[in-house]
Amino acid sequence: MGFFESSFFWFIEGLFACLAIIALRTWTQDKGIRMPFWKWPVVIVWVLFLAISIAYIGTSIGEGEMDAAFFGAIFAAVIASISGVVVWRLLRMR
Amino acid sequence: METEEDRPRRELRVTRRTLIKAAGAASAVLGLSGLGLCGYQAGKDPDSYTGCEGLQGAAQSFDRKRFAVDEPHYEKVGPTRRADGRTEVIFSRVDVARSAAQMGKRIEDLDEPFRGYYEQHPEDFELDKQNSELRRKVAEDSPENRNRYILAEAWADAMGAVSPRPIGNEPPEISDFPGQMSRSPFKMKSPAATAKLIKKVSYEFGTVLIGITKLNHDWVYKYPSSRRGFAMNEPIKVPKHWEYAIVVGTPMSWDPMYANPNYGTSNDAYSKSRIVAFRLVSFIKRLGYAARPHTPGNSYDLMVPPIMVDAGLGEQGRHSIVITPELGCNFRPAVVTTNLPMSTDKPIAFGVQDFCKNCKICAEQCPSGAISKADKEVIRGYKRYRLHSSKCFNFWNSNHGSTGCRVCIAACPYTRKSNWVHKTALQVTANDPTGISDKLLAGMQKRFYPGPKPSDFYAATLGGKNASYREPPWWLKTEDFIEL
Ligand code: SF4
Ligand code: SF4
Repeated sequence: MGFFESSFFWFIEGLFACLAIIALRTWTQDKGIRMPFWKWPVVIVWVLFLAISIAYIGTSIGEGEMDAAFFGAIFAAVIASISGVVVWRLLRMR
Repeated sequence: METEEDRPRRELRVTRRTLIKAAGAASAVLGLSGLGLCGYQAGKDPDSYTGCEGLQGAAQSFDRKRFAVDEPHYEKVGPTRRADGRTEVIFSRVDVARSAAQMGKRIEDLDEPFRGYYEQHPEDFELDKQNSELRRKVAEDSPENRNRYILAEAWADAMGAVSPRPIGNEPPEISDFPGQMSRSPFKMKSPAATAKLIKKVSYEFGTVLIGITKLNHDWVYKYPSSRRGFAMNEPIKVPKHWEYAIVVGTPMSWDPMYANPNYGTSNDAYSKSRIVAFRLVSFIKRLGYAARPHTPGNSYDLMVPPIMVDAGLGEQGRHSIVITPELGCNFRPAVVTTNLPMSTDKPIAFGVQDFCKNCKICAEQCPSGAISKADKEVIRGYKRYRLHSSKCFNFWNSNHGSTGCRVCIAACPYTRKSNWVHKTALQVTANDPTGISDKLLAGMQKRFYPGPKPSDFYAATLGGKNASYREPPWWLKTEDFIEL
């Protein structure tokens, strides 16, 4: 079993996710952005979309499906940018 | 008021917050990159070669019970008719047309049943006559083009090199039964336990898929396609002991399959399924019951796809091949008919009929135009998509490499690697009753996974470019190993 299929890999991923969440909380506090309960799922869904898109691009490259990787990247970039602006505006809401 | 003593502590606090933010940002970047690399590994991993990732039943992992239905998807419309194995199987009739072409014979000069068949299907006569000429044209291609497939051809031959002995020409009432010396049938404890046992030993024998059904006599040829104990011109009276049908299936090697039509072969899966079926026959006979193999390579007395459907292994697609949830259509099946009492499996419906309605990728990619883009038709009393076998077989004679084509298998969106992307897509189509995801995913398939132009698959001397659906694997690239 390779590193990327191991439980250790997912443990590290979990660690990174925790650190990123703590950092996000610290950053929003410093910026004076209020983070009520409903804002967290919005951010998490956006990050999940980004994560799945990146994994999809990686998988397509691994499969040798360059068209799928290319179109997947364009599609993801467009959706992530548009939704990113929306998420950012929601975050800035009081 | 802030004192001198407080200042360094405040600076330290600010530094800690900055550190947390920097570490979090770095973690986010590393975590996302890790997912990208993990995805890359999932795409590249040979463990995702569908059907080869686990034996002993591990690869037959789809939860069929959730999708079990009482009736199979094919619709019975009016009176049914059994297929004539002598004329409706392309391999049985094609030699007659070939020799007619050589001797300048017309349809009316042929003997029955071929005259009758070709009178009803004159287009098939014209197409079937062409394939020797097509083969000759392929052979005229430049040595550079022809030699590119030396390794693919050697590999295909090697894969077909091991084969059990044919079953001979005794009638089924003799050949299917254990020899004189064997005991009378053992009394089995229960049909359910027997089915479980048969499935387990079949996995041990090397199958990847297995399903069991009662044999519907409509699927047995009316006249045989090869002798195997039958008189060619007498209708087959379905033997009483062909009560159950056990269907097994094994996948074709992934990378060559994806480089069809000229690098893949059916021989590997044919050979494996044949061996499993013969082992199963031997096992069942040792229990004292009758068993008969119907195996790839024109040794069938029946049509396999509808039996696979009845046995709950999958649904028949537009290209006429059965689509299974695990292997898509990348497999070759074999059947064992027997009187060993077993509990049977139910057919399944996991969304293929709806998906095929608007997908049509196989029909668009098929070099010969054999796959219909139209709706289902009534064929021998059942509704299904038409496949023009004469057109298909002519393309088999129009390309290099081992015999065959299999582009429709490679292009079908259900034939994809066993990784999270394609497994998720399968679950989405199987569970979405609205049909929206079918349209979305079929559209994505066409845009994201395009194949070469259908005419490019032909040999250069027939106007093509010797294209393959995808790049061949490194180990079949002749030019990298042999001085040409
Ligand atoms: S095997 Fe090739 S020619 Fe035959 S139906 Fe499939 S794609 Fe068409
Ligand atoms: S390629 Fe599309 S239309 Fe053809 S069998 Fe597969 S899913 Fe059905």
